[in-house]
Amino acid sequence: MAQIAERHKVSAPLVFYLVHSTQFGIGVLGFQKNVVKYAGHDSWISVILIGLIVHLYIWMIYQILKRSSGSLMTLQHDLFGKWVGNGLNIVWIIYFFLGSCAILIGYIEILKVWMFEDLNIWIYTAIFMGLLYYIFNGGFRVVTGFAFFGVVLPLWIFLTFLIFPTRFADLQHLLPIMDHSPQEIFMGTMQMVITVIGFETLFLYYPFVKNIDKSQKWAHIGNLFTTCSYIIIMIVSIVYYSAEEEILRNKWATLAMWKIVELPFVERFEYIGIASWSLVILPNICVMLWSAKRGITEIFGITEKKVIISVLVVMFFIVNVIVDKEDIQLLNKIINMYALGIVFCYIPVLYLITFVRDLWKRRT
Amino acid sequence: MSRMYKQNWKRKDSIEKLFAVFRSSTDFIQYDVNTSHIKYWISYFETLVDVNILNENILKPIHSKYWQSLEELKNILPVKDIFLTIDTDLMKEKLLEGFVMISLSEYGSPCLLVNAKLNKAREVTLPEVEFTVIGPKEAFVESIESNINLIRKRLPIEELRIRTLKIGRLTQTRLAIIYIEGIADEENVFTVWQRISNIQIDQVNDSSYITEMISDNHNSPFPQLLDTERPDRVVSILAEGKIAVIVDGSPHVLIGPTTLVEFFASFEDYFLNWILSSFFRIIRLFAVSFSILATPIYVAVLNYHYELIPTDLLNNFVTSRREVPVPPFLEALFLEGTIELLREAGARLPTKVGQTIGIVGGIVIGTASVEAGLTSNILLIIVALAALASFTTPVYKMGNTIRLLRFPFLMFAEMYGLLGIVLCFCFLATHLLRLTSLGRPFLEPIYPPRITDLKDAFLRMPFSMMNERPKQLRTEQPKRMDEEKSRENKDIDE
Repeated sequence: MAQIAERHKVSAPLVFYLVHSTQFGIGVLGFQKNVVKYAGHDSWISVILIGLIVHLYIWMIYQILKRSSGSLMTLQHDLFGKWVGNGLNIVWIIYFFLGSCAILIGYIEILKVWMFEDLNIWIYTAIFMGLLYYIFNGGFRVVTGFAFFGVVLPLWIFLTFLIFPTRFADLQHLLPIMDHSPQEIFMGTMQMVITVIGFETLFLYYPFVKNIDKSQKWAHIGNLFTTCSYIIIMIVSIVYYSAEEEILRNKWATLAMWKIVELPFVERFEYIGIASWSLVILPNICVMLWSAKRGITEIFGITEKKVIISVLVVMFFIVNVIVDKEDIQLLNKIINMYALGIVFCYIPVLYLITFVRDLWKRRT
Repeated sequence: MSRMYKQNWKRKDSIEKLFAVFRSSTDFIQYDVNTSHIKYWISYFETLVDVNILNENILKPIHSKYWQSLEELKNILPVKDIFLTIDTDLMKEKLLEGFVMISLSEYGSPCLLVNAKLNKAREVTLPEVEFTVIGPKEAFVESIESNINLIRKRLPIEELRIRTLKIGRLTQTRLAIIYIEGIADEENVFTVWQRISNIQIDQVNDSSYITEMISDNHNSPFPQLLDTERPDRVVSILAEGKIAVIVDGSPHVLIGPTTLVEFFASFEDYFLNWILSSFFRIIRLFAVSFSILATPIYVAVLNYHYELIPTDLLNNFVTSRREVPVPPFLEALFLEGTIELLREAGARLPTKVGQTIGIVGGIVIGTASVEAGLTSNILLIIVALAALASFTTPVYKMGNTIRLLRFPFLMFAEMYGLLGIVLCFCFLATHLLRLTSLGRPFLEPIYPPRITDLKDAFLRMPFSMMNERPKQLRTEQPKRMDEEKSRENKDIDE
């Protein structure tokens, strides 16, 4: 694989934004329902649990990549040979691609339900694809730039979660702690998977980071920040809603919390919130899709510009075809399963394989 | 022997040709003079030559002193720039710069070239575009010598480097690249040098020509090089490690590499207390965002999200818009267009007439259009405030960009409301992320985030804290001063 030129690389602390912005996205608006279904008012423990698991996985990813000569694509190619390796690579690429599609589809669904009933998806996605094309043509530095903006600019929205709903909070809702069995909490944790995935894009942008050894710390801090945000939102939701049933009835519990935000000059804050949320989901889509694009270029050696255009065209059609509620739910289910398999089961296997290979190499 | 003759003949021929060409212009003077001891020919352009120098320093010694050859004459004449040459190209160049040529025969060589340039430059005056209440009151003028003098006077150090070259096939404009060696990054200097020498153009009438030719992205509305008319600003920027380009005939000096935030910093910020200037910078930042977003938000809210406005406020909006027959978008476009019209008309007219235009436009058209029911008065207030806010940008070129930016935002707001505004912001952010100034990121220190450079971005921290030069410039001497000495901490009652 060709070495990445220094001017295309990003500095190590920016990994914080890359990791956090990919994990923190569309899921925030309505992740409570599925977790609360199993873990009830102990759901925040499930969130902590998934945070710890992701820390372990980030550590594993770094261990795996340290033993490779580049990204995941080259590693799998080296390990399993041309056919199997590239087959696995394509599985990963489809995963990244579907993931980014699902985010945009989910966002458009929210737009239609909350803001514009008669949104013309064709035109909206066309503009969105234009934006993505413009971003990708700027290279990875611009993608990282959006990861940065997507974290920093919407930070103020976080205050609205803290200030307004907590006025109506009742801390009694949290008690008794550990009321649910470990199985239930673990089931809740499994539901969090689709919300926290995204950190695995690290596999692809790893060669694009300067001083890679220093970046691991930042990746962990990024995940810590994500976990803390999710815990806070989860706790606020539990104490704000008067009953668990209310969370279960809300597909987008976070969004519904915005309804009580009231300022002297602004009512119905959710409009501002949803519009600003495009800044949050944009890096999400960007990094995921960039990883898919990067993977395709690495495997097939096609010029990046062609890959960008074809990927965007395919995405455009997929987003426009999957509009039904059932289809969207199916897609999310597929991605949840996909993520469980490819991220949470496959990465440890890969870690073991590289670990054993390393031992073997040292012995001989 | 024959070869020498041939060379001599060739040279003679080209001098003849040179004169033949020059004589077709009526301001070219050539005549022969018989003094008491020798006969000589003298030629010059009367429009380029200072008559005083010619009379006092050239003709007077020629006639009053005894000399036999041009070498002797060279030692007699009390003029600084004087040389003997047989090179006809040099003769041509120097004659066109205002030198006087003296020879002993009509087409003979060598010839003596004596500097008698007529220097007509405007006096150094007050800065008008970047006026500050306090601080130095000098501004650059059109002459490159006088501009370099203004800079050298303020930087009497040996490390100041000035490299000159000529640009423009027809205008032959002189251009100087100025930097401080040992501070400015060699790579940056090389980039500037290379881009300027690659310019292919026939005329350079102002430094803006150079800006456009050497900026990284020609298709961007954002200026990628800062221009200033203040020598103090240039000096401060050279000390930071940047590079200045002076173009002869232009009172604006170019500075690069630059960043976006620099365009919103007035040089007066450094003359005021840091708390005050930080406050003013924040106000300016607010003004810029207001100026871009105010009308688009009005359109977005009234078109799509009137639920956003609390009921009491909504009453006012409804009342003011009750008689307006057009949708908010057209209404906003109409008013914004009027403001642009007024600005453009005011800019093209002399100051006194311009003021009248402002009064007529601002008061008469504004109130009349509200009374006629064409616009709502709330929008009139918003548009007027936005126009006012756009004039707070200290750099004129950036002010123009800011005014242009609100139109795409308006269009997106009309399409998707607040969502459209965010979408348009994303396009803008991508554009800014992609921009570079002389190969260095334009959005720094926001992205890539560099905390040390943020000390002089949105806020202006005290000088004692700004002990490092901007990281973006990759200066060869990153420290400005000794940190320990600059921050002497004393305990209370010590």
